[in-house]
Amino acid sequence: MSLDPRAQLPAGPRHAGIGAGFIRDCALAGGAEERLANRLALIAEEVLGAAPANAGLVGLTLSDRRHAMRLSVDFTAADLDLAGLDQSRRGDAEDAEEIGLYLAARLADRLTTEPLDRGGLRLGFDVGRAYPPQAAATAPEALGPISGAAVDPDDATLALLVQWAEAAELGGPAFRLAPRVLDQRAQGDLFARVALDARKRPVGGLFWQPFGRRLMELSGPALLLPDGADRAAVAEALLEAALAGLVRKKIQGLVVLEPSPDMPRQGFETVGQLPAADGTTWPVLFRALEEDPGGISWVPPVLADWVTAATRRLALGRDIEEPARPKRATGAAMAAETDRARGRVTLRSLIAAGDAAAVAAGNVALFRDQGFSEIRAILDLGKPDQAAFAEGLVKAGLSPAALIPDAAGDLLLLAAAE
Amino acid sequence: MTEFALDRLVPAHVRAFEAYVPSPPDDVLCRRFGVPHLHRLNNNENPIGPPEAARAMMAAWKPEQAALYPQGDGWHLRRALGRRFDIDPEQVILGNGANEVIAFVIKAFCEPGDNIVTADRTFAVYEWLASFSGVEPRLVPLRDYAFDAEAMLDAIDDRTRVLFVCNPNNPTGTWWRHDELDRFMEAVDGRAIVVADEAYAEFAEDPAFPDSFALMQRHPNLIVFRTFSKMWGLAGLRIGWMAASPDVAATVKKTSISYSVNILAMEAARATVWDEAHVQATRAHMRGSRAAVAALAQKLGLTMIGDVGNFVMLKLPMSDTVAHRRLMGRGVMARAMTSFRYPGWLRVSLGPADAMAAFAGALEEVLAEG
Repeated sequence: MSLDPRAQLPAGPRHAGIGAGFIRDCALAGGAEERLANRLALIAEEVLGAAPANAGLVGLTLSDRRHAMRLSVDFTAADLDLAGLDQSRRGDAEDAEEIGLYLAARLADRLTTEPLDRGGLRLGFDVGRAYPPQAAATAPEALGPISGAAVDPDDATLALLVQWAEAAELGGPAFRLAPRVLDQRAQGDLFARVALDARKRPVGGLFWQPFGRRLMELSGPALLLPDGADRAAVAEALLEAALAGLVRKKIQGLVVLEPSPDMPRQGFETVGQLPAADGTTWPVLFRALEEDPGGISWVPPVLADWVTAATRRLALGRDIEEPARPKRATGAAMAAETDRARGRVTLRSLIAAGDAAAVAAGNVALFRDQGFSEIRAILDLGKPDQAAFAEGLVKAGLSPAALIPDAAGDLLLLAAAE
Repeated sequence: MTEFALDRLVPAHVRAFEAYVPSPPDDVLCRRFGVPHLHRLNNNENPIGPPEAARAMMAAWKPEQAALYPQGDGWHLRRALGRRFDIDPEQVILGNGANEVIAFVIKAFCEPGDNIVTADRTFAVYEWLASFSGVEPRLVPLRDYAFDAEAMLDAIDDRTRVLFVCNPNNPTGTWWRHDELDRFMEAVDGRAIVVADEAYAEFAEDPAFPDSFALMQRHPNLIVFRTFSKMWGLAGLRIGWMAASPDVAATVKKTSISYSVNILAMEAARATVWDEAHVQATRAHMRGSRAAVAALAQKLGLTMIGDVGNFVMLKLPMSDTVAHRRLMGRGVMARAMTSFRYPGWLRVSLGPADAMAAFAGALEEVLAEG
């Protein structure tokens, strides 16, 4: 049983301060720095204060995820109006009821949602820990060649790899800040394989992180060897080790959203193209780990031609069906993950309703106004409700960019680059 | 009802396990992939089907019998097998397919925290059953496509309870000779149960293939698995069996499920024992079909492995999972091997002639697409 501190409080402003104090005290007692504890407390206060009256008892749980602290908010009522979470619904009036949830969503680095039993909803607000800058550590010149199979590294080896990759600006954002990477791995949010030379020094690494429930996103490889034939061998060894560690588990496939030039392409298929702000595109790669026995794709008319063509091109066995409109008339909401450093936002369905198209268009407009240059949305075509957002996304200028296969629900990635 | 906290009731090793999802039935697959017919070359079935005596038995079977429970432990079939292999019928235990027999053995000898040892690239069910039983599966890499005896011995510790040797190995078709298995048993020296899973044994024509029932006399920790699904063409009826030394069999019997094998399966299996003409006909089919796939592989520049069994593996110059989908779109179902830890390989059963012809044509087209 989890020992995470938890509380249940009635929804509404009268108990918001109590919830905030509880979360703040627990965060501090758990070792969080003041800044982080205050942000979590503010989120708890805003969520409780803005929660609709029919929400009943709201559950608050604080979990230490090492690289982040997570405030989970459980709503057990089945028919909630959480439209206030949607960033596009902030309205003009600061005292609007839903502004609290809007603020809460903005205070978190990442907002996730998952259904609870009997129609409830869990919102997960992650606030990342701050890590002090690391002293640069450059890899020695006389590394390599690879010796033996790539390994699941110990902490010291993984930290060394990240430090050397960061100094050489290799591998992309996933390979930054050794303490964060170690915490992510310890938490089960990141997995790694590292190739070693004969002196057990890292010569390359490959990471993967959860991407939805059944997929992993690959990052890297970061190769520390100089140009030459051995680099390809290191990349192959890393991928082989990753595959060996991933198969026969629940992971159905690997997606590569930002392929490194060193990523071995054989065995991957190109499932789409993502646009960049400069007008160029780059491929989205995918590798299935399991046979695809076919499934159902719920596709709205506005996307039918593109999805049907992509489904055929990828030889996917799909029953392509047009979904019914959501039963709920209003109250649609989207969640957003923002990466301000890159000017990127990714929208996902939170609650589908009849006004989903307008909400989707509103979200795109909001982030466009805020200067985000890469706007993406992900729709799960295995869930008929999510199709309701498609029309608004397309009208707002997003285009289908990639179809990531999953027999339980293909993921359609829509994108626009400004 | 107060809150039902399901997770509180589920052991961690069950929570962590992802349920296996079988592929949908053929009519659904045909609709989804837009084909009128599907040639199944993915499950290593016998294209000849069951022997004549089993066919006759099933044709004469009266549906009224379905209302009755079967005899609980395969009395007659166990005696028939005992006579065939010169063992006491009490040494034989039946299961609803060999998969159930694997479960009997793990339940009999392992408790959470123990481990089993097997290969990394072999039949998945040993690993799965151990995992969701709270037992650590220790996976030893194959060497030259074959079980590595030395590395398996190195993997044994004081919590090792069972070693699974798939002989011949699915999917590589490699196998240990009689003397190799004997030496391995000597080296294990009674420290753990050794299972020789001989699901494909009847396909082995080389006299050096182990006589495991004889070895059992000298090594009481040896268990032999056999099945009626492969050579005997009864995969749809689900019946497998194991034999072990008397004390080991008596132990496994405690965890076996009586009445789990249905009456039709038991009687059909009994009728097959031991149709040598069926064995010879099946082997002849496999020789011809294997030669044809070898010729195809040579023509297409593909590496082929697998000398024993009713299947071969082909190394493709592309993703096996993509090839699988594209073959499905042409009405052919082979097995993508990434999940067997053989990325880029395809396993194809040596099926009926029309299916093999469809496979050959479809594979050429898929490879031409790149």
